[in-house]
Amino acid sequence: MLGKSIFRDDAHGKVTGSALYPGDIEKDHFLHAKLLFTGQPHARMIRMDTAAAEAVPGVVCILKAEDVPVNEHGLVMLDQPVMVGLNSKKPFSDVSRWEGDRAAMIVAETEEAAARARDLIEIEWEQLPVVTSPVEAMRDETIIHGEEPSNVYKHYRIRKGEMAAGWAAADVIVEETYQVPMQEHAYLQPEAGVSYIDEEGRVTVEVAGQWTHEDQTLIAHALDIPKEQVRVIYPAIGGAFGGREDMSVQIVLALASQRLREMGINRPVRIQWTREESVIGHHKRHAVTIHTRWGAAKTGELTAIEVEMILDAGSYNCTSNKVLGNAHLTVAGPYRIPNAHIDSYAVYTNNCPGGAFRGFGAPQGCFVAESQMNKLAIALGIDPVELRLKNVLREGEASITDTPLPAGISIKTVIEQCADKFEEPFSGAQVLPRSFQSLPADPKALRRGRGFACALKNIGFSFGFPERSEAYVELRGRGEIDRVVVRHAGADVGQGAHTAFKQMVAEAVGVPYEKVEGVFSDTAYTGDSGSASASRLTWMTGNAIRGAVEKALTLWKQEERPAVGFFRYQPPPTEMLDDKTGKSNPNITYGYVAEAVDVTVDIETGHITIDRVVCANDVGRAVNPNLIEGQIEGAVVQAFGYAVTENLQSKNGHILNPRFSTYLIPGIRDVPQKVESLIIEEPDPQGPWGVRGMAEMPFIPLAPAITAALYDATGVWFNELPLTPGNVRMRLKNTLVPDLT
Amino acid sequence: MAVHNITFTLNGEAEAAVVPSHMTLLQMLREEIVMTGTKNGCAAGECGACTVLLNGEPVNSCLVLAVECDGQTLVTVEGLAHDRQLDPLQQALIEIGGVQCGFCTPGVLISARALLDRNPHPTKADVQAALVGNLCRCTGYVRIIDGVLAAAERA
Ligand code: FES
Ligand code: FES
Repeated sequence: MLGKSIFRDDAHGKVTGSALYPGDIEKDHFLHAKLLFTGQPHARMIRMDTAAAEAVPGVVCILKAEDVPVNEHGLVMLDQPVMVGLNSKKPFSDVSRWEGDRAAMIVAETEEAAARARDLIEIEWEQLPVVTSPVEAMRDETIIHGEEPSNVYKHYRIRKGEMAAGWAAADVIVEETYQVPMQEHAYLQPEAGVSYIDEEGRVTVEVAGQWTHEDQTLIAHALDIPKEQVRVIYPAIGGAFGGREDMSVQIVLALASQRLREMGINRPVRIQWTREESVIGHHKRHAVTIHTRWGAAKTGELTAIEVEMILDAGSYNCTSNKVLGNAHLTVAGPYRIPNAHIDSYAVYTNNCPGGAFRGFGAPQGCFVAESQMNKLAIALGIDPVELRLKNVLREGEASITDTPLPAGISIKTVIEQCADKFEEPFSGAQVLPRSFQSLPADPKALRRGRGFACALKNIGFSFGFPERSEAYVELRGRGEIDRVVVRHAGADVGQGAHTAFKQMVAEAVGVPYEKVEGVFSDTAYTGDSGSASASRLTWMTGNAIRGAVEKALTLWKQEERPAVGFFRYQPPPTEMLDDKTGKSNPNITYGYVAEAVDVTVDIETGHITIDRVVCANDVGRAVNPNLIEGQIEGAVVQAFGYAVTENLQSKNGHILNPRFSTYLIPGIRDVPQKVESLIIEEPDPQGPWGVRGMAEMPFIPLAPAITAALYDATGVWFNELPLTPGNVRMRLKNTLVPDLT
Repeated sequence: MAVHNITFTLNGEAEAAVVPSHMTLLQMLREEIVMTGTKNGCAAGECGACTVLLNGEPVNSCLVLAVECDGQTLVTVEGLAHDRQLDPLQQALIEIGGVQCGFCTPGVLISARALLDRNPHPTKADVQAALVGNLCRCTGYVRIIDGVLAAAERA
């Protein structure tokens, strides 16, 4: 059953329109809700008047900060109020630190009435200084979280080897500053959900998220009720990419249902965000500024690196401290570096919070590491692939944390296979890119180049987090197993996880796929799966499924009918970085990837097109090759958006372009002419059947491969993303003056 | 607020609705008729998730007023399959892997249906031109293009 491209189970419902997303769920006698965002990047609430709003016909209730029993949430740190407002038991809840902070939840008979009431709520604010530059925030003239001594709330270090010796051994030094931008997830389905009290009296929320049991935990915490009294169900989810890890509508919906119960009203509530609310109201990929210096000997060996990295965490932590940790480690790439000095800081500002997004710090870290390697290759006159092969970590060698990476390091293989494939001739680049339909490019303005980059990324949660995944497998029948039911919470955010789970169950039990049924993503029937993130879901679930199947089969042999096996998989524990040196075993295991690109740039207009991408991704063991290729292609195009087309603009803490007409995600014409996916299968010794997590990896090296290709094409390095036509043209114009008018 | 009694053909069936002047076709489908296959990704003509056929032409239903549909013919994603027989486009997207989260899929299918109806043998460039208004954040479009081309070939 493994290695087969089984058609995904949910595809039929999705092509016929019968699949239900949170906004499609119908219940009788719905009430409708709207959230009031504060719109204040930094201000203290003085007064809030809801009298006019309450008088709007059809308004049922208005919930405020004072109505939240425990007014706090956050995936890692509880630093975020559920609602900003007065009379909350939680200190500092009267301060809005983000334009997307919530001030009220309005429940009404119709969406229009709720919206009208929302617009009639009057709030008086005392303006506070809006801090948008992390460097300025580091001076602590304005403290954004009153309970914290400093805006710099996380600092990681690496102190490895002897820096003086490292620089002395360097024949070449490359010193640069890089700047990478925020990125919006732009999943097509805006946040939505329904809540009600289920037949067992549980506050029930149907929503699109990434981790049912974490939603359940945070709802229970805010409502101050036991977890068992909260139920979270995921229907079809319209994309996630990390953007649904944090709480959007979960807690406020539960709060509304709880309040309606107290009022004796037994009606479900629905909320649906608009696109603008979605973009304003959830976190982004982090903007990061990195200053760095890398030294290498003539022979190519790296001798020392020094890094200072400042990550704009925005107004709340979300997962910033973890993202920072990943960026902190991936900034050294998959390389053997004897001497290193790295300082990384997470800093609060009044910008939109940064948080989880496919790659989770690795795209930022890798952009730096791979840009540095490509520059060193030029400076040393060594082929970039060869330079990498000289420096990549091998089994048992000390990584940047001074400990070996877990066994099964395949970075060398992915680099070699990617480079080999890329050598094969490709004719597609003959087609001229057209910047505009009506204005074909001038062939004289076109330059072509090729670039290469590779990356590693951890699989699973790191730094001492208690990773786990629970699965139930039930074997039914008498003499023979007729049916197998797997119960698992893991979120199918669109990647096809549930189909892959069933394939793994079929494989483990030894029955055809058709005999397997799934009960998924409902806390009432499933154990804690952990999150659909960190490229961990297939990996962890597979291990949990194997354990549960083994137990079920033992019971089956003992004649139990049905035979139900439960297993809680826990991988080997990981460690937090040592405070002073960073020495640790921070991660469970890794995924490895390499990418090569052919790029064409129009130096007159600054337009970039990718002609060809080769992506070599080690997946350990391909559970479903078609789904894997889909992840690679999707990640490559999303990374093209990150590198080239997407330009989220923010001013004084306000996002200026929260729409698809102004924030440009790649369209069907932006697709590279050819995306070649090389599925490598070097087993991960800890993975189920050798499986490795894979869905983030292809995102990670694309941006630095593109900038290397741009250098190849123009002789100009680009240290800042995005490479929008305007930015590219400006930089080329400033550097290549003679060529451009 | 003025309301209008309108009648139209929806997926081959006669249908009637009472709609206020400002109601969009998308709102009518999703909220009034409660046919939710057609998706709302932006409500502003920017994503294509709400695409339906209006007299055979693909339109963003979030930009069309419901009242404009009086006497017209509409096809939504729910109307693509006939007698449980999937449209070749639906079958091809399933098999080739053009569906991930699926939120863009109804709009993609409708735009592609309109293309194949007027051009049964499109090139890759034709497919790209026809789907230029349909955003997808998951697939990278590769398998959407391949799926449409495969459906054309099979038909
Ligand atoms: S919802 Fe109509 S184009 Fe996006
Ligand atoms: S499949 Fe998710 S947006 Fe297209």
